[in-house]
Amino acid sequence: MVERRLTWLAAIVLLWGAAIFQKIVSLQVVRHQEYLNLARARQEMVIEIPAPRGTVFDRWGQPLAMSVQTESVYINPLKVPDLGVAAELLGLVLHMDRPSLYDKMQQAYDAGRGFFWVKRKITGEEAESLRTLRLEWIKIQSESQRHYPKGTLAAHVLGAVNFEERGTAGIEKALDSDLRGQPGRERVLTDVKRRGIDSRLSVEAKAGTSITLTIDERLQFVAEREIAAAVAAHHAITGSVVMMNPYNGEVLAMASYPAYDPNISPEPGENLAKYQNHAVSVPFEPGSVYKVITLSAALETTSLRPESPINCHGGVLKLPGRTIHDSHGGLGVIPMAIVLAKSSNIGAIMVGMRVGEENMYQYMLKFGFGRRTGIELPAESAGKVYKLSRWGKTSLASVSMGQEVSVTTLQLAQAAAVVANGGMLVRPRLVLKRGNQAAPEPQPVRVIKPETAITMRQMMEGVVLPGGSGTRARLAGYTVGGKTGSAQIYDFAARHYTHSYNGSFMGIAPLTNPQIVVVVTLNGTHGGEAGFGGVVAAPVFRVVAGEALRVLDVPKDVPETEPTKTLVTKAGPDDVSDPDSRLGQPDILAEGDGDDDAAPAAAEAAVPAGPRVPDFQGKTMRAVLAEAASKGLTVLPDGSGVARVQFPAPGSPLHEGDRIRVQFKR
Amino acid sequence: MATLPTFFRRTEAPANPVMAARPVGARTERDTERDPHMLRALPNDDILFYCKKIDNSRLVREADPQGRGACWSAIAGACVLLVLLTSAFFPTVATTLAGYKLEALRTEERQLLAERRNLELQEAELLSPARLDRLAKDNNLVTPSSRQVVHLDAKGDATVAMVK
Repeated sequence: MVERRLTWLAAIVLLWGAAIFQKIVSLQVVRHQEYLNLARARQEMVIEIPAPRGTVFDRWGQPLAMSVQTESVYINPLKVPDLGVAAELLGLVLHMDRPSLYDKMQQAYDAGRGFFWVKRKITGEEAESLRTLRLEWIKIQSESQRHYPKGTLAAHVLGAVNFEERGTAGIEKALDSDLRGQPGRERVLTDVKRRGIDSRLSVEAKAGTSITLTIDERLQFVAEREIAAAVAAHHAITGSVVMMNPYNGEVLAMASYPAYDPNISPEPGENLAKYQNHAVSVPFEPGSVYKVITLSAALETTSLRPESPINCHGGVLKLPGRTIHDSHGGLGVIPMAIVLAKSSNIGAIMVGMRVGEENMYQYMLKFGFGRRTGIELPAESAGKVYKLSRWGKTSLASVSMGQEVSVTTLQLAQAAAVVANGGMLVRPRLVLKRGNQAAPEPQPVRVIKPETAITMRQMMEGVVLPGGSGTRARLAGYTVGGKTGSAQIYDFAARHYTHSYNGSFMGIAPLTNPQIVVVVTLNGTHGGEAGFGGVVAAPVFRVVAGEALRVLDVPKDVPETEPTKTLVTKAGPDDVSDPDSRLGQPDILAEGDGDDDAAPAAAEAAVPAGPRVPDFQGKTMRAVLAEAASKGLTVLPDGSGVARVQFPAPGSPLHEGDRIRVQFKR
Repeated sequence: MATLPTFFRRTEAPANPVMAARPVGARTERDTERDPHMLRALPNDDILFYCKKIDNSRLVREADPQGRGACWSAIAGACVLLVLLTSAFFPTVATTLAGYKLEALRTEERQLLAERRNLELQEAELLSPARLDRLAKDNNLVTPSSRQVVHLDAKGDATVAMVK
């Protein structure tokens, strides 16, 4: 009896144990993952670790673009108790149009969508208001939002991002992969009150790399302010300024007008023209500023020197199918330096003829035209340089004076840097550092000989000296070299040149030790000479370069005086075959011509009493320098032998800070 | 209804001799009149208990060294067990508490970082060149010419300048 009972008891215990074991196997093995997930859902919380997009700084560490955490609201329309009430409530708190919100929510509901963004990037007050409602169907998610704290400053350089914080323009687009961060995830074990107890990293957060630009925000501000004022003052359409360090290619400022605020997204259907960076994306015919390249090529490939006579044919030159005029009347035979100073088109054509098509084409390419500079910006234009095989009969003449070629403002700055730094082509760059790593400096490539660059600088100084076409670019206390440009805009529909201009100025300062090159371009200026580069762009250069030299603490290289307005008197023959026969004759230097504003009122300056420029003609260089030193004068000698020509002319009024250029020849 | 206090109070000697002379349970006519709803007496309500005072001060507990030892052993064992349990569970508890604190600190860190970025953003907005330019104009300030700026100690980046 007892044994039988024990047997039953043992069997029951065995069955009971077997049942327990089966349940354990089911819990721990068969449905392990299911219960694990259920447990995690109850006990764990997944937290997104923010990895903000990298900050963009200027060269001094001032943030130009940065991301901050913000919050967005979403709902599951399928779980909202009443869509009408929800729309009313959310519209009220989030300041949204309630009927419109309701329609969208209803559409999402009808489509069976379980996710609907109500509003993204809400304010802190709105988020707090929603939290106080304590409605479980209102979900708030943390997101990152891009801010541009300086507003429109450097907007074209920085670009913008879309709602996913992906770059759509500028540096934001070009360096999107560097700037973009990878948010991480963390699993947090929580208690019943959802307080964190322990956490495990699921995905490691990878913050975006910060980018330090070469831009100086102070110079950028001045450049933008001045170009905006100039465009408004001269009724131009667009404008751009590029300021660059000629030795390492660092772009210190890049302004484009019209500007925009990258904090504000473009409206649908909005004209996107203002979002174009005119400094790099919009090429134009450079006009006379291109003569710097023509003359550089001539110095390199021909026997022409600054004092070499160039016949300007009295201001009219007939070519196959077209006639070229100098806009300020006829010039005869003038030194090549004066061709640049007066910006004579015919003089430039004659120089270009000496250079030849092949050499001209090669130097166009050597100076970086016809290809992208490689700056870290999207949508850069390469400009347009026709292949040599496509050149027509007058192409060489056109190219010599800056037609039949299109360039960007940045390309012009790159070319000006070649002259400024002694003949090396340096690639412009905008990125100074990626994170803490300094960006590698580009390898410069020699384009012209150093002596050619120095000679070009001396000739470019003549442009801003009295009688030149860019006198409004002169700076008090600094030597300046430059070149004006006033290219008529071609109307492709009507197939002829209009009376609108691309007024530009390419400048270097200080000339004795170049620290910056600045190129200013205004597109669509009007009013004849009032729209020329020397009138519209040179003053912008003066303000921008002056401010830059002050900010960069560049020592002055000449006494600080007001730019002299003294000009030499008018006279002289139209055609001088022997350059020596006109040496020292001030009339040649004073004759106005070219396509620029070559000081049309050159002849009417009154001659004040005071010290006069001594006559150095016929003296040796040693004697000239000794005399100049004894009188405290600054002489810029050029060439060798005895003094043949000087500027200002002997007897001209001498002002403090004036420098006398003396050309020597055997 | 007889309550325990009234029950125990009956064992005490009455303070009023007249009342003490009355037999327990005897009701006066006046009582009956005063409380017509008084319940009937409980069984054995009339049994009286007296306190008998016993003096056992002369009694002395018999010495029991074995019992005392066993008692102390039990106490010591309990203490050891307590220490062992405490030391066994202390790390877990401490870890949990530290976990709470750690997570709270992490949350606070994230909030502070976000707050710092907001403050940096505000600072950058306040230092905007356009704003500074506007403020300078409002206060009739002008840009000093380079001749006015005197560098007091031009060493590296730590250049100090003043305006004359």
